[in-house]
Amino acid sequence: MDIFLQQIMNGAVIGSTYAVVAVGFALVFIVLRVVNFAHPEIFMLGMFSGLWAALHISDNLAVVLVAGAIGAGLGGLVLERAVIRPLHGRNMLMTLLATLGVSIILQNGMAIITGPDPVPYPTIIPNMSVPLGPVSLTARQLVNFAACIILLITASYYVRGTKYGRATRAVAERPDVAAAFGVNVSLISLITVVFASLMAGIAAVSVGLLYGSAWAFVGLLYGLKAFIILLVAGNRYFEGVVFVAIALGIIEALITGYVSSGMRDVVTFTLLIGVLYFRPNGVFGSYNA
Amino acid sequence: MSALLKVSGLSVAYGAVPAILDVSLELQPGEVRVILGANGAGKTTIIKTLLGLVRARSGTIQFDGKHDLTRLKSHQIHQLGIAWVPEGRQLWGSLTVLENLRMGAFIEHDEAKVEKGIATMFERFPRLKERRHQLAASLSGGEQQMVAIARALISKPRLLLMDEPSIGLAPLVVRDIFDLVRAINQDGISVLMVEQNARQALALAHWAYLLEIGQIVESGPAREISTKERVQEVFLGGAA
Repeated sequence: MDIFLQQIMNGAVIGSTYAVVAVGFALVFIVLRVVNFAHPEIFMLGMFSGLWAALHISDNLAVVLVAGAIGAGLGGLVLERAVIRPLHGRNMLMTLLATLGVSIILQNGMAIITGPDPVPYPTIIPNMSVPLGPVSLTARQLVNFAACIILLITASYYVRGTKYGRATRAVAERPDVAAAFGVNVSLISLITVVFASLMAGIAAVSVGLLYGSAWAFVGLLYGLKAFIILLVAGNRYFEGVVFVAIALGIIEALITGYVSSGMRDVVTFTLLIGVLYFRPNGVFGSYNA
Repeated sequence: MSALLKVSGLSVAYGAVPAILDVSLELQPGEVRVILGANGAGKTTIIKTLLGLVRARSGTIQFDGKHDLTRLKSHQIHQLGIAWVPEGRQLWGSLTVLENLRMGAFIEHDEAKVEKGIATMFERFPRLKERRHQLAASLSGGEQQMVAIARALISKPRLLLMDEPSIGLAPLVVRDIFDLVRAINQDGISVLMVEQNARQALALAHWAYLLEIGQIVESGPAREISTKERVQEVFLGGAA
């Protein structure tokens, strides 16, 4: 029973990172109608920005997290203005291919600089275990989990509770009407991509600290998962995306714990196909672009 | 008196297909003018071009004698005091009634003024106050039209562009809507309306244009236009 609970906790931690990446992906899709395949590489940029700051500026946790946010945020800013914006109004497939191209360039570009293998992160958080009732988490897991949950709460508050968040939802539903009521749609698009990138950057640093390494190809792991989560959850409800992300993390952890890690992706993708067969718009429904 | 809105030689095309051709019209401050036309005549295209949502191929749109709307973006045009009641309402259905009104006041940064505007709208449309926390998509057609009008009025526009406000509504509701437009105009807001419901629109408007296949074919005071043979034939359902 304790192992079961422990795996659920471990899975929830992993799932919280999936949730941050998937929510960023979903926000950009819903608001800009853009499939941003470069989003996982923005995550990777954040991971290396944090590493760079830890080695060259300070190994203070806050400094490293902020550096990750800045690196990823700048990446998102350039991506939106240089790649996504110029293709606005064209076929959706064009942006999809362009961001896929950016993603390949960033992966391999980073691999040229840092090498194709994982690069060690300095030890910033001590490797100690924190008991939580019948289970325990490491301090690194706790930081990762707390960072992601805070990011998700912030995103939820931004979208539901602020004036610009309201305008963001208005742009998502009817961009023309929003523009005619004074909303600068281009600015909202930029803010949305940068916001999603900032979130990804902070989460990425907390993942780097958790596993003790940064990797040029880390986006491959998280990008595909985020995409699956979005397909399964549907893009209509923020909370739906978070729910599916955490559920996926838990399912993966249980399979790894009780069956084998080799079976993990087999089960995950079978579930995906099963869900889409019965609910093609996702469990919680979708806006169709 | 100089015109509030002066459209000269406006042409718009979607790809190679012309939607409106060499349209000229104007609106004096305080007036209600109506553009009559059948489906596909180009009425909505004119409204969307005024709003900067569709780009003009040629021609100019002067607002207040000093702004050329064809050079501005939609959000800048709204800041000049132009608000829109779109065809078929086009509310944000996933937002509540209150959120729709707040979006109508998006450009107002003074939160106290926004609250005051909302209170004024709730006074004018008590039904909306009852339903303020409901999603806009859940309202009836007439209620949705009230939200659409309140959303446009809350920014205190100088010019209201109304795109077929009567479409899809029950006859009694249509009468209410036209009474409302009259009241809005008496508050000093100029109105440019496009309509198919010619009888009611002509009873309300000061001036009317008849649009056919993208071109203005008749123009004159509403009273005179309603006696024209062409208008009788097409819109008022009978030979004159």
